[in-house]
Amino acid sequence: MRQKRSEIYSVELSGTKDIVRTDQGDDKEKYRGLKNNCLERKKKNQEEDFQKELQLDDHKLNNRELEKKYGTNIIMGLSSTRAAELLARDGPNSLTPPKQTPEIVKFLKQMVGGFSILLWVGAFLCWIAYGIQYSSDKSASLNNVYLGSVLVLVVILTGVFAYYQEAKSTNIMSSFNKMIPQQALVIRDSEKKTIPAEQLVVGDIVEVKGGDQIPADIRVLSSQGCRVDNSSLTGESEPQPRSSEFTHENPLETKNICFYSTTCLEASTSPIGTVTGMVINTGDRTIIGHIASLASGVGNEKTPIAIEIEHFVHIVAGVAVSIGILFFIIAVSMKYRVLDSLIFLIGIIVANVPEGLLGTVTVTLSLTAKRMAKKNCLVKNLEAVETLGSTSIICSDKTGTLTQNRMTVAHLWFDNQIFVADTSEDHSNQVFDQSSSTWASLSKIITLCNRAEFKPGQENVPIMKKAVIGDASETALLKFSEVLLGDVMEIRKRNRKVVEIPFNSTNKFQLSIHETDDPHDKRFLMVMKGAPERILEKCSTIMINGEEHPLDKSTAKTFHTAYMELGGLGERVLGFCHLYLPADEFPETYSFDIDAMNFPTSNLCFVGLLSMIDPPRSTVPDAVTKCRSAGIKVIMVTGDHPITAKAIAKSVGIISANSETVEDIAHRLNIPVEQVNQRDAKAAIVTGMELKDMSLEQLDEILANYQEIVFARTSPQQKLIIVEGCQRQDAVVAVTGDGVNDSPALKKADIGIAMGIAGSDAAKNAADMVLLDDNFASIVTGVEEGRLIFDNLKKTIAYTLTKNIAELCPFLIYIIAGLPLPIGTITILFIDLGTDIIPSIALAYEKAESDIMNRKPRHKKKDRLVNKPLAVYSYLHIGLMQALGAFLVYFTVYAQEGFLPHTLINLRVEWENDNVNDLEDHYGQEWTRYQREYLEWTGYTAFFVGILVQQIADLIIRKTRRNSIFQQGLFRNKVIWVGIASQIIIGLILSYGLGSVTALNFTMLRAQYWFVAVPHAILIWVYDEVRKLFIRLYPGSWWDKNMYY
Amino acid sequence: MVIQKEKKSCGQVVEEWKEFVWNPRTHQFMGRTGTSWAFILLFYLVFYGFLTAMFSLTMWVMLQTVSDHTPKYQDRLATPGLMIRPKTENLDVIVNVSDTESWDQHVQKLNKFLEPYNDSIQAQKNDVCRPGRYYEQPDNGVLNYPKRACQFNRTQLGICSGIGDPTHYGYSTGQPCVFIKMNRVINFYAGANQSMNVTCAGKRDEDAENLGHFVMFPSNGNIDLMYFPYYGKKFHVNYTQPLVAVKFLNVTPNVEVNVECRINAANIATDDERDKFAGRVAFKLRINKT
Repeated sequence: MRQKRSEIYSVELSGTKDIVRTDQGDDKEKYRGLKNNCLERKKKNQEEDFQKELQLDDHKLNNRELEKKYGTNIIMGLSSTRAAELLARDGPNSLTPPKQTPEIVKFLKQMVGGFSILLWVGAFLCWIAYGIQYSSDKSASLNNVYLGSVLVLVVILTGVFAYYQEAKSTNIMSSFNKMIPQQALVIRDSEKKTIPAEQLVVGDIVEVKGGDQIPADIRVLSSQGCRVDNSSLTGESEPQPRSSEFTHENPLETKNICFYSTTCLEASTSPIGTVTGMVINTGDRTIIGHIASLASGVGNEKTPIAIEIEHFVHIVAGVAVSIGILFFIIAVSMKYRVLDSLIFLIGIIVANVPEGLLGTVTVTLSLTAKRMAKKNCLVKNLEAVETLGSTSIICSDKTGTLTQNRMTVAHLWFDNQIFVADTSEDHSNQVFDQSSSTWASLSKIITLCNRAEFKPGQENVPIMKKAVIGDASETALLKFSEVLLGDVMEIRKRNRKVVEIPFNSTNKFQLSIHETDDPHDKRFLMVMKGAPERILEKCSTIMINGEEHPLDKSTAKTFHTAYMELGGLGERVLGFCHLYLPADEFPETYSFDIDAMNFPTSNLCFVGLLSMIDPPRSTVPDAVTKCRSAGIKVIMVTGDHPITAKAIAKSVGIISANSETVEDIAHRLNIPVEQVNQRDAKAAIVTGMELKDMSLEQLDEILANYQEIVFARTSPQQKLIIVEGCQRQDAVVAVTGDGVNDSPALKKADIGIAMGIAGSDAAKNAADMVLLDDNFASIVTGVEEGRLIFDNLKKTIAYTLTKNIAELCPFLIYIIAGLPLPIGTITILFIDLGTDIIPSIALAYEKAESDIMNRKPRHKKKDRLVNKPLAVYSYLHIGLMQALGAFLVYFTVYAQEGFLPHTLINLRVEWENDNVNDLEDHYGQEWTRYQREYLEWTGYTAFFVGILVQQIADLIIRKTRRNSIFQQGLFRNKVIWVGIASQIIIGLILSYGLGSVTALNFTMLRAQYWFVAVPHAILIWVYDEVRKLFIRLYPGSWWDKNMYY
Repeated sequence: MVIQKEKKSCGQVVEEWKEFVWNPRTHQFMGRTGTSWAFILLFYLVFYGFLTAMFSLTMWVMLQTVSDHTPKYQDRLATPGLMIRPKTENLDVIVNVSDTESWDQHVQKLNKFLEPYNDSIQAQKNDVCRPGRYYEQPDNGVLNYPKRACQFNRTQLGICSGIGDPTHYGYSTGQPCVFIKMNRVINFYAGANQSMNVTCAGKRDEDAENLGHFVMFPSNGNIDLMYFPYYGKKFHVNYTQPLVAVKFLNVTPNVEVNVECRINAANIATDDERDKFAGRVAFKLRINKT
């Protein structure tokens, strides 16, 4: 996975500064293809492996066979020598970290990516040119050497910058990799020893206590109330019991195997869960190891922004190289010396390449990444910032992402009535009628028949946030009653528990007998809860409005209706009943025996039902609506039951209120499912079982035809299939996940989003982004930022490209008309890497022009970052205007010094001849070479100032693409003004501060020349306002199509 | 799953190109319909027409700030440069005494260069001025009043004048004349009212040895104040630039000699680090004799 990342980075870097890389690009492309093929093959193998679910049959063997197979002894363990041998053979019990690209390779990649190659070519041409000059004339000027060195310096600086940026984001992720060294309790040489888990070998007998991580794949030999949390592996959220029996053919399902890195739970139901087992797989051969390698084998798609930047680099490099070669040919055919033509070529390349742009893009992205981090989206891979914006499908987990990830009481049924409980995050608003005395009885059962307890020392924590020892349902009930009744522990103390039978799967009920808190009432109270139908069986009466009524057919029917209704909402329903034991039969001294069951468990009084659900987060429905209006399809992919999934999907709006599934329609019309017209249904619920039997085409059809889809009961591999299906629709897919099992899908997705709180390290590693608050709504803010940054990058690039024409034209005119060179290569670098940097970053702070969450996601193949109108408008409209404005300043300087425009034409050769020291100007004055050179530098400075002044106008017009600047607000983005100020200050420093440093070719310019280009700057502004006006007035017109970028 | 890009066959590529050039279905030529092309051409015609007009206008306005007779600024020309004649490619005067062709081109150039200095032409066009003082010609209220120039007669150059000279300015005998001239700068009062002269010397000690003796015309390398100030090409039509001729009498043959001549004038600095031609000129002299 690391590898993937670095690859992406190289593109981004390549983003950050490359120049000449068209032909090189091809090579890279080929190489990449090759690599993909390899990966593909590797991946397929792995997938097969995975689907074979590993050739594991240890769960079927008995202890004797196991001992034989692994050459060990269950009582004595391995001998140390044998263990050492095995360790040497199999290697340590740890996952091989993904191969890391050496730092130096990463660094070198920065040096050759993107535009860098163009600049390297430029630099070498410079040195070659000097070499040729030197060989013919030993006193040749060193200018070309300097220029070459400056170009190399630029490449190295931008490379270092990009490398630094990458290293910084790599640091963020390395924090995820920290693992606490694990210890394992192992039996070796008949002794119990604690050794680092890394040294475990196959055949070791290990003991794992509740709360510990399973140190390797182990076959359970004996277990005491041990349950494991396999959620990170299988997505199953319920803890699974583990024992030594072989219960299932499938090693993943059988109870006698525990998997590496899953957790053995501290169960509240048994004193302490411990498990003794034999190590059967270590390190990369464990199931987790297989999944991890599967994840790293999944091919990496380039991020959309990387593709866009590459596209852009190709365009610019293509323009640079083709203009360069064209003018090289023109120059040679105009009888220029080849050496001179070479130097022109360098100038053209340097003028054409926006040296600072790729760095700017990186900075812009990391600014946005920072902004997103504040909104709980931690971006690991800078480019993912934009990917989120172009996302068109989000495949979201249910548990924890859409829901609060805790069971909560949602409904109650008593007195023949369903009451709704508040399921919001703080439960503050319980509105149901609590005056009925049935409620008093029910609440007592809820409070007493419950083993869950708050962990001590949390007095100041809000109730809903308190940590609880106990399972999910009991926790829900505990918190529910604590909110409604106050101090539960106090109530329990007052109603001392005499005896209890904990819940187990055969009884399906839980029972306890208490003394009552009424000192006059010496009866015992028996309270019971459990599966509603089981509870009902045990009852003969039902409590309505506090009075017991016999349970007849009609009341039983109302019970069933209520039960079905609550079950239909996807909620887990529990029934509650009680019985006051008659005091004469059960005196205070009566000794209850839970094994003999010397107390009645039938003819109880039914009190009510209570249903629980993991409720949706309150911000989610809003976020889903936002996604809808933003044209993003939200698909729920969950391992949960279809009914629960559907209920949550409905309540958060993934299935909207008025849309129906095929089954719904069939139910409504009372016809078989097969007769329903598939087209009538907008929503679909697909289970993992159905998915298994589907061909890819059928899946594609479902993904394409249904707007609202829920995948339920899916396995991790199926998640990957779903993601691939979405990608076949040309969608940019975001996937959320938390478990290890999600990591292949996270990897595969265009943007993988891991949960920061619930997520496993593997998921966080595989993901491009981490949601710090596990909240779906944060994704939506991320989408918004992503879209904004795409728009703003367009503006930045348009701004940066514009001046390239103004920098390029001088060289073209110089070659064709023979004017003294209007702007030097070094000066161009000062614009590209000096005055223009801060303003182009400032555009990243621009607010959105319209509601960006109301438009469709961009089509990744049609809506390009740099499209034709952008290039044409920047180059041929604004760029050309800028060039004219800058030439005006240049001509003004020359004319006022004595060289009127017409005298300049074809003056180049004489002008640059070091031995002509009496060149005549328009007035008959004669100029030495140095005097002319100084004037030439003044010309550079003038041209520079001309571009600078007009770039200010350019910066202002780029604030918007459609709206008028005055609609957007000229002063709303303060950073723009910082940018303008920086531009002017840098310009002033260069001209007046460094004007005396000849190497920089700047001179002190007369103040009035700063204003010569102002009319052109105003013209640019006015022209752009007119453009935007027509775009707004005539949407869809010829003008709109050609002028809107 | 990585979706492989389908490789297009050559035929498909050609087909696509054909369709791009002319798409019969949509009637698009190079991706645009006829109307679209018409629009775009019209647009660029108007747009670029407008830009040209705008640029011309601003240029015209700018040129209004520039006089046709005197430059607006002269800050770069505070120190006039010196130059030599004959003008050669690399500022070197190389004479192969026996090889006529090696110096004939110099002679041709000099003949041409000195032609306007002929006494007859000077007498005809220019005034005889009073030496030792500036020849100032104020406008006296008449705008752009044409200015007269002072005579500099070719005969003032003595044996370097080349008149009736069988040695061709000494080139045929290995005793060449090199002419020094000072760059024209408008309204520049060279010498600040004190007399000035040109001196020449070898650049380094060995050069000085090899240089030998030389004579200068006018004597002492003097440049008279009456040739200043210069009023510009437009006013000062017949302005004749003062010259100093240096005749090198016994340069060590077959050795390259670096000669430097500089002007000694009160207001002309000759020590500019960067401008090697400010008030001075350096050139190479080589006489090849067999």
